[in-house]
Amino acid sequence: MKHELSGGLAVVSYAVTALMLVFVLAPLVIVFVISVSDTPLAVFPPRGFTLGWYWKVLGDPGFRGAVGFSLGLALSATLASLALGIPAALVLVRHPFAGQSMAEGVLMSPLVFPTLIMGVALLQFYAMWNMQNSAMNLFFAHILVTLPYVMRTVMASLRQADMTLEEAALTLGANRFRVLWRVTLPQIAPGVAAGALFAFMLSFDNYPISMWLADAKAEPLPIYLIQAMQRIFDPSVAAMASLMTLIGAVAVFVVEKLVGLRRAMSV
Amino acid sequence: MSVSDASYSSTVSMSNKLFSILPQGPSALWMLIPSLLFVLVFFIFPCLSLFSYSVMTQGAQGRIGAPFTLANFAQISADPFIWRIFVATIRISIITSILAVIFAYPVALVIARGHPQFSRLATIIIIAPLMVSIVVRTYGWQLLLANSGNGVVNWVLYQFGFPKVTFRVMFSETAVIIGSLHVFFPMMVLPLATALSRISPAVEEAAKTLGAPAWRVFWRVTLPLSIPGLAAGLTFVFSLTASSYVTPALLGGNRAMMLGNLLDQQITATYNWPLGAAIVVVMVVLVFAVNALSMLVLERRRAGGQDAAPAGARKAGAQ
Repeated sequence: MKHELSGGLAVVSYAVTALMLVFVLAPLVIVFVISVSDTPLAVFPPRGFTLGWYWKVLGDPGFRGAVGFSLGLALSATLASLALGIPAALVLVRHPFAGQSMAEGVLMSPLVFPTLIMGVALLQFYAMWNMQNSAMNLFFAHILVTLPYVMRTVMASLRQADMTLEEAALTLGANRFRVLWRVTLPQIAPGVAAGALFAFMLSFDNYPISMWLADAKAEPLPIYLIQAMQRIFDPSVAAMASLMTLIGAVAVFVVEKLVGLRRAMSV
Repeated sequence: MSVSDASYSSTVSMSNKLFSILPQGPSALWMLIPSLLFVLVFFIFPCLSLFSYSVMTQGAQGRIGAPFTLANFAQISADPFIWRIFVATIRISIITSILAVIFAYPVALVIARGHPQFSRLATIIIIAPLMVSIVVRTYGWQLLLANSGNGVVNWVLYQFGFPKVTFRVMFSETAVIIGSLHVFFPMMVLPLATALSRISPAVEEAAKTLGAPAWRVFWRVTLPLSIPGLAAGLTFVFSLTASSYVTPALLGGNRAMMLGNLLDQQITATYNWPLGAAIVVVMVVLVFAVNALSMLVLERRRAGGQDAAPAGARKAGAQ
């Protein structure tokens, strides 16, 4: 029997879903519409069509610096999370030991904790140890955001990987590193890449941790955007926001191609 | 032939123990040490240290330490300004969670059981905004809800003959609730859709075959069986809303502050670390209490087993 929606429930469900899809898309669409408006202020209704705001924004050294900084921060935090998370995930999935669930609980704990509070805690921690390199401080903070997500996807991919292939390779005489490199990693690569990309975007878009730790020398893009919103009232802010949305859309597309968005979010 | 098969299968079963890509024994555990150390040093220790500030006193030179006191917590309930923000935080989080359930349920039904193509489209549109910064999405709501004739909602209403500025929600709790609902909506839809797609079609078929009308099947079978997803979604949305900062800062302003904004004010403007730490402890307790409550509900259901399960499920289990 097909498990399909039918009857009155179906009508209501489809109607509410259509409404909610509009609700979800509306703010993103409106930002884009304003970003191409040929008006001096970011107001509705838009008039004309121009790509001038994009040129203005792309020529702004502050914006370009923030984009570069955020890309570097997200990339390094994600790579560090892979380096820390893959070995840990291998042990947690393939090597049962006493205290395993506790180790997993500790490693996953940042996931259930409010990110805003992680930021304050780190602000206090860095002050206590007199750590003043704000770029480095942001880097450590962002690893806390990306590590649990990376670990979760690596662990899920390892559980789905075919262990008998590893055993076959080991039986045939390959050493452990060769098996890891040639058998295990290729199997988990798509899932891990999708998870890493999602973690990258979480770092790239993060505000609640960065707000405590950023300064003029180390300014991630979301911080720059909020500051721009408070001093610029022309559509160039909308152009910045649209460019950030565009980067997110590219990430969505890549994840969908790699493993499917639905599987990546484990729906 | 059969001999080699036998020896092959015995090798395979042995290999489960002898051939692993990890060294046997405790020597593999060193691979856990870097990540565990990182989380302990940069997360657990800083959090515990911050919590400890909540029972300390700040001296004249800004030194934080003894005498130990509960005055910071007392101030939260005694100061009407802070107390109002605390109550508003809970109110905003509860209303957002309830609205999220009401609107997410039909969407999750469509994702779990709707027409495949529409389901796929809905999934992508619901999940995609998770990869767009909260700052960008909230900026969109500022443009939509602006309290002037240039706000999108007001402009649309004006085209339908309403006065120039009908809709004044910007910088109010309503705006914060709308923004929070938008930001955290996927966190309700995803667990609900997962729970709904795990319900066996046989259970609902059984109820239908036994003559239950569609609404009754939904009310007595589908809804109770989706409670795990419902509890998870409610916990996510409540926790995330209660600890949010960006949405109330940009859409609520000074008139709809939440605990996160108060925390920012205490730390970055007033430098009152002990009071800030007490606010942190209150937020963490709030979030963990809701988590514990939802786990308790799920445990109860599991422990109740067959008795707690709805009639339809019980019949299906007997088959």
